[in-house]
Amino acid sequence: MKSHARLAAAFLKQEERAHWHDQALWYVREKRDRMAASVPDWEALRETAQAIKRHALANLPRYLEEFEQNAAARGAIVHYALDDAEHNRIVLEILKGRNARLVAKSKSMLSEECGLNEFLERNGVEVVETDLAERIIQLAGERPSHIVLPSIHIRKEEVGEIFHKHLGTQRGESDPTRLTRAARSHLRERFLAAEAGISGVNFAVAETGAVVICTNEGNADLGNSLPDLYIAVMGVEKVIPKSRDLSVFLRLLSRSATGQPISAYTSHLLGPRPGQEMHIVIVDNGRSEILRRERFHKAAFCIRCGACLNTCPVYRRSGGHSYNYIIPGPIGTILAMHRDLKKYKDMPYASTLCGSCTAVCPVKIDIHRQIVLWRNEVVEAGYLGRAKSAALKTTTLGMKSTRLFRIGGWAVRKLLRILPPFVFNNRLTIWGRSRNLPKMPARSFRAEFRAYSRSKTDLSESRMNREARS
Amino acid sequence: MKDSRRLVLDKLKEHGIAGDTSYPAYSHPHTGITDPREFFRSVVESVGGECRFVADLEAARKCVAGSEVFLAAKEVCSYVKEVAEGNFEAEAKADAHQCAEVDLTIIRGELGVAENAAVWINADPLRHRALLFISGNLVLVLDGRDIVPDMESAYARIDFSRLRSGYFISGPSKTADIEQCLVIGAHGAKSLLVLVVG
Repeated sequence: MKSHARLAAAFLKQEERAHWHDQALWYVREKRDRMAASVPDWEALRETAQAIKRHALANLPRYLEEFEQNAAARGAIVHYALDDAEHNRIVLEILKGRNARLVAKSKSMLSEECGLNEFLERNGVEVVETDLAERIIQLAGERPSHIVLPSIHIRKEEVGEIFHKHLGTQRGESDPTRLTRAARSHLRERFLAAEAGISGVNFAVAETGAVVICTNEGNADLGNSLPDLYIAVMGVEKVIPKSRDLSVFLRLLSRSATGQPISAYTSHLLGPRPGQEMHIVIVDNGRSEILRRERFHKAAFCIRCGACLNTCPVYRRSGGHSYNYIIPGPIGTILAMHRDLKKYKDMPYASTLCGSCTAVCPVKIDIHRQIVLWRNEVVEAGYLGRAKSAALKTTTLGMKSTRLFRIGGWAVRKLLRILPPFVFNNRLTIWGRSRNLPKMPARSFRAEFRAYSRSKTDLSESRMNREARS
Repeated sequence: MKDSRRLVLDKLKEHGIAGDTSYPAYSHPHTGITDPREFFRSVVESVGGECRFVADLEAARKCVAGSEVFLAAKEVCSYVKEVAEGNFEAEAKADAHQCAEVDLTIIRGELGVAENAAVWINADPLRHRALLFISGNLVLVLDGRDIVPDMESAYARIDFSRLRSGYFISGPSKTADIEQCLVIGAHGAKSLLVLVVG
């Protein structure tokens, strides 16, 4: 597995694309800023959203049971899955029970996390992703590079190529409107033919048993209203206590995600439509572990808006595929570490710790602080790697002793002036590969400060003398 | 499977959430909206829809009759007969798939939200809720008195006790999945007209 730094370097080789990626996401971030500023009580809304999440997650068993009872009373069949494997098995059994061979699926990060599509395909079920971006990457055989804009890394000319190959559009077509129309008619056929619909869930309301789904395209709605079988899959953390709480989260979600006042469609489903069978699969898959860790539990507050990705200077410049976890960027980092500290050990280092993620998070997760704490865990576990460990150890040694610090500083100031730059800017020193050393000052900070205080004392003394004279 | 339920619920009991975990008392009205109707209209337009104020249903009828979408539509399904007769009866169809060719659907909205142009639609009176999404275009008829400033006031007015499905619809369906270029008309309606009556 290649590290984030290596994958990011590969992404940056295509300069024009990397620049476009950066700009496109920054544009979304700016739209988010304008939207946030237009809501008078924005900061208070974020506070409330976090308080509701904290309350709901501290009382999850109670709210899950309430949700389950209310959803069941409306005719939905509720399942629980401990992990991804059980989730996949349950979904497959439901589909097999109704002999469903073609599924119209809407975007769901949970199903990505569980590898549902691959599992179903292996078991003879055809899964058609119906969100345009998800369909593009499904046809391209890739994974999403963003949790809200899954195909943000693909240019329109490439979409044209993919559609030419799979949907038979004209070669060289790259007009977004014409390509979208082609996808609409191609997917309309699939919607009408599908025997089942599967979608994720944005919020589940305990008070009513409602499943709430937000989309712009209307794909989830066709998928849950047309077929006679509908399966909603959700993580345990999606439950909120009351319908009224939706007002808080919906006002934050789309504004944070795409800078829209609300998604085009916000569907509230309370049980199946007449003549339909509706299942809800509630999945843990490690979420209870996240909630158990006091320092890191806030990662479970996430409502998957993607604002932290759009604002992250590292994500914008390195692309979603440079992160090895299925969810990239700042939030992906603090989720991945719960999964596998060793496997994702490089992710906390794919950060400048600037704190922009924390500043935009609609539920106020302290993302950049958690990233620091995860670095701590990586070091403690001994996964830092020899070079970085040695560097850190040496620095620690120097920082601990005043004498060593002084001598070290003196030596570096002298040496850097004598040695040619290639000693630092070569292939072996990781740091110098893409950075230049600053010009070395003649004196140490300590010496500068001593000189400064001396001049200050001189000044104040002369002033005092003057005042005394007058 | 029953076991997994118990196991999941038991695991969730042992959480590490410290501090105040009480349910917050809150109210965050969207202040700053002095004219909800006008605000609503401008947001509908900013999300790619069209909004017209009409004096009564007769004026609404004229407005629809003169619209390009209506003139081009072959199959029109109307739930507001005062506004348009329509020539397609979705209620008479046994299966929602039979509604696939509907060009225009006209239906009442119960509530309009000024801050985000969302119109609340209770889909329970419809035989086929899919019609809302499969129809090529939508006209929503809204009583002018039913425009509220924000989501909080909207949820205060929605009764979920008997509801089976309800939707907030804000503008036509859209996507920006190809290079962030906004394209109106993804899978759902390609155009949306809100008629605010009275």
